[in-house]
Amino acid sequence: MGLAGAKNKRKLGLDPNNTKWSRNTDTFGQKLLRAHGWEPGQYLGAKDAPHAERYTEASNKHIHVVLKEDNLGLGAKRNAGDECVGLDAFQTLLGRLNGKAEDVLESEQKEREAMKINAYLHRKLGTIRFVRGGFLVGDEMKPTKESVETIPTPSAGASKDSASEGTGKSESTDRKSKKRKASEDTDSSDSDSDIDSEKEAKKARKKEKKSKKRRAETDAETDAEAARARKKEKKEKKEKKEKKRKTEEDGDDVDSSLSDAKKAKKERKERRKERRERKEKRREKGWKEKASSDSESEADDSISREKKRRKSKGDKSAASTPLECSTFTPGGSGTSTPVPTSIRFLSRQKYIAQKRMAFADPAALNEIFMIKSVQA
Amino acid sequence: MSDTKGSKRSNTEEEDGSQDSKRLKMANGKTDEKYNPYLAHHYDDNDNSQNGFQSPLDQLQRHNTTAQQAAKLEDLDANPWTSQPHSQRYFGILKSRRDLPVHKQRQEFLDMYHSSQILVFVGETGSGKTTQIPQYVLYDELPHQTGKLIACTQPRRVAAMSVAQRVANELDVELGQEVGYSIRFENRTGPKTMLKYMTDGQLLREAMHDHDMSRYSTIIIDEAHERTLATDILMALLKQIAERRKDLKIIVMSATLDAQKFQTYFFNAPLLAVPGRTFPVEIFYTPEPERDYVEASVRTVLQIHAAEPEGDILLFLTGEEEIEDACRRINLEVDDMIRESDAGPLKVYPLYGTLPPAQQQRIFDKAPEPFRKGGRPGRKCIIATNIAETSLTIDGIVYVVDPGFSKQKIYNPRSRVESLLVSPISKASAQQRAGRAGRTRPGKCFRLYTEKAFKGELIPQTYPEILRSNLANTVLELKKLGVEDLVHFDLMDPPAPETMMRALEELNYLACLDDDGELTKLGSLASEFPLDPALAVMLISSPEFYCSNEMLSITSLLSVPQIFVRPNNARKRADEMKMQFAHPDGDHLTLLNAYHAFKGAEQSGSDVKQWCHEHFLSARHLASADNVRTQLKRIMETHDIELISTPFQDKNYYTNIRRALLAGFFMQVAMREGSNSKTYKTVKDDQLVMIHPSTVVSSPYDWVVYNEFVLTTKQYVRTVTNIRPEWLLEIAPVYYDVDTFEKGEIKTALTRITEKIRRRQAIKGDR
Repeated sequence: MGLAGAKNKRKLGLDPNNTKWSRNTDTFGQKLLRAHGWEPGQYLGAKDAPHAERYTEASNKHIHVVLKEDNLGLGAKRNAGDECVGLDAFQTLLGRLNGKAEDVLESEQKEREAMKINAYLHRKLGTIRFVRGGFLVGDEMKPTKESVETIPTPSAGASKDSASEGTGKSESTDRKSKKRKASEDTDSSDSDSDIDSEKEAKKARKKEKKSKKRRAETDAETDAEAARARKKEKKEKKEKKEKKRKTEEDGDDVDSSLSDAKKAKKERKERRKERRERKEKRREKGWKEKASSDSESEADDSISREKKRRKSKGDKSAASTPLECSTFTPGGSGTSTPVPTSIRFLSRQKYIAQKRMAFADPAALNEIFMIKSVQA
Repeated sequence: MSDTKGSKRSNTEEEDGSQDSKRLKMANGKTDEKYNPYLAHHYDDNDNSQNGFQSPLDQLQRHNTTAQQAAKLEDLDANPWTSQPHSQRYFGILKSRRDLPVHKQRQEFLDMYHSSQILVFVGETGSGKTTQIPQYVLYDELPHQTGKLIACTQPRRVAAMSVAQRVANELDVELGQEVGYSIRFENRTGPKTMLKYMTDGQLLREAMHDHDMSRYSTIIIDEAHERTLATDILMALLKQIAERRKDLKIIVMSATLDAQKFQTYFFNAPLLAVPGRTFPVEIFYTPEPERDYVEASVRTVLQIHAAEPEGDILLFLTGEEEIEDACRRINLEVDDMIRESDAGPLKVYPLYGTLPPAQQQRIFDKAPEPFRKGGRPGRKCIIATNIAETSLTIDGIVYVVDPGFSKQKIYNPRSRVESLLVSPISKASAQQRAGRAGRTRPGKCFRLYTEKAFKGELIPQTYPEILRSNLANTVLELKKLGVEDLVHFDLMDPPAPETMMRALEELNYLACLDDDGELTKLGSLASEFPLDPALAVMLISSPEFYCSNEMLSITSLLSVPQIFVRPNNARKRADEMKMQFAHPDGDHLTLLNAYHAFKGAEQSGSDVKQWCHEHFLSARHLASADNVRTQLKRIMETHDIELISTPFQDKNYYTNIRRALLAGFFMQVAMREGSNSKTYKTVKDDQLVMIHPSTVVSSPYDWVVYNEFVLTTKQYVRTVTNIRPEWLLEIAPVYYDVDTFEKGEIKTALTRITEKIRRRQAIKGDR
């Protein structure tokens, strides 16, 4: 947390590891062990035991513990890059001193700046997750290998138009593809087991989302008809493969095929959910716009806004499996938890934000320390 | 014998069995009569008239039975073990038993069992191994012929009790007769007992007096993968005994993965694996590490609730506070969610060790119904510590949320602190957690960390208890078990040498081991008590301080969980109530006061539960302390340790108790750093510690004795009592030999006190 973090003073003794004791070769225990033929540095245990190769380090030295005082998730690092303060002005200089090439330095600088802007956006508005959708090469969709993608949230009014445009478009394609999917599902329902079809549906839904995203992003004016046909082809192929794998995997699962009626119902439910989600999203956009234009009122609004946002997030993930594959804007923010959004965190959050503004905002600090950015 | 004769005849089953049994009976029995074909009608008459008395088991030949034979016996109308007709439900249970995965491999198991002395058996949870394998062994060992028992050890008391009950039902016998259990402070076995479920620690205690475990023909170690301290020692012992006693059969049962390690350890014993009845679990990772794992887990639970089809959720968190906090947050959010959308109901249940059993039971409640028919599904969400990882099975769990942390107790032999800290789990443990999702149908496990973190940051296996604990008690037990050479004792994972040294050193100071490392009389006596050596020594020497009754109570209270209850919503009142019992000089004395008040309330005939509730005391823990006290008292009586008290009116009543504490805990003393400082320094190890805020001692002295030294958020000493340094020099002169101390405040203080005592004695001498 840097300067804004909670301070934790800890008084340490002169010898917190008690090396005085461990170095003392005159203790009763050490003498006794030596008398039985133990030498320092040796493991205890049977001589030439066949399982000795499976001993762990803990059989040699006691287990070391780490005092964990925060709720940082597994693998998350404190100061994962989003908190770089002030120092980045010197990075170029330091890099030059270390003999880095000019172009490397430039790319690094750009990276840092991208990181900063992402961190800013993330802090200000939270981030929307997107899912990989493959590439459109010629008239074929090509799946890509897993990689991360950055799509900053459109924030200002200018981008709002395009966003709503995108939503509108995807709406129509969505509806169409829904219908198609329904029919397709009924076609293939005979051999599907319960779980398979469920998974498939999810896959399909995800795919839809992907395509939606792509559309919104590129505004590609491709022939919808043709694209659909292509996609259908591909999906069928993929589904077949998928199915094969699945059946191999859990062949002994009960083969209870869903009835068509049930499926239709599910579809309806999905559609309802989809609609709700879109509504939420639009509302959220509105909120965001308002928020960005009027930062004073943000605090008052944010209670309900946060709530809304969370809700919409939940709903959105209704369309895809939560957490699955949905990558998050990188920029080294290092987390996929957006800022705490619960009401109970609000006051604390506000406080932290204030503190951050004062202390951790690189721009402000640069000003305070009168550091001129190299680029500027 | 029975085999050859049995195969000659091809009559009906019934007849075949009874005749053979008759013959075998004769051969075995008291009379020398040979089977006489001319008298066949007599026998037949006999058999027809009383079909029960001669056991159909007699046709079996020990260590040469088949699954088919056993199945036939199980199908009989009368119970072969009791000769009583089977009850109604027996056949129902039998049918479900035969559906268990392990049943298919009964014959395979028997073949391997016959051919090898040691057998490693791997069966996932749900395979039925804990209940079935001992019964398979029972039908093969035929304990009624040899008079030797079959033991099956469990790491937990509750498991031993409940499994014994279950197996008694399955065999259609009464618990405590043919099938019994034995746990610390409770023994439910009888002279007829053939199959005995017990805790691993209990078997170890038995082995102290019977180094060859000669009462048993087969020993089954269940849940060996949990690697409790007692299991590890038991395995090492059995490895030795197996060499001496070739007739002893050993089965090591494990639920997981690491079976190869067991195999190599047990002279490459053969391995039998039975698939569990589990469904595939889909694993999800987060793409990036989480900033706040509690927040992330709350959010994931809500997302699952919003988006996933029916199925209950299990969330693993680390401790009571965190769990209660997450419960509150999820409840609030779900309320919001229900208000603003058509989300289904979600019931949240916490689950952790210190939760009262009644509340623990609630996790087995059914998930709530949807608000309207066909509406979104209702579900329950259980937020648990890692007790739900192995020890408890909750049906209906489909989603598991795993943040990747747990709280672990780890002992540091250098500073002698026991830390209880949140730390990353192991890979094996993560897999166990995920496996919980696939018990009833295919499930999903959401791991709140990246795949990279799973592969790179998690250790492969959880450290077994023996690497994480203070071994003073273990070493004492090993000495009592006749283990001479502790250095080369063949443990599966030998502890760090420093841990062993510290244990030996402590035992030496306590005078349980002499300077050659041999068990002393005191040590031998101390090992009779199922207590830590310090507590045992304190108890044994308490008559010298005229307060053995009181020390007995204090010891019992220290061996049960905290008796003072402090619920989150009534902390202040709880603290006020605790102050009623407070003794200004120490928490030990406060415990004693509370116990005396409890006994007083009990005797006055008031409702004890109500009384405890009003006074924020745990009736359950007080009752179990009472039980422990009775047991310890019995041990004291058998070893002729006097039970005496200083009269309460005597001004030395409490002083005596405080002094008696030092007889066992002189190594757990801390001195204040400065005159007004809040930090203390532990004697000899020089660790800086604070007195735990739960203390009632308002004005601590410069010297305190403490019961435990823990590292939670800081280094704390818990349960402290004021003492005078003069007592230290008097009660533990060896440990407090000033010359052995390093230069420092403590040495200066001790020197000054020695001087003072000398002067005082000189003055006395002059008079």
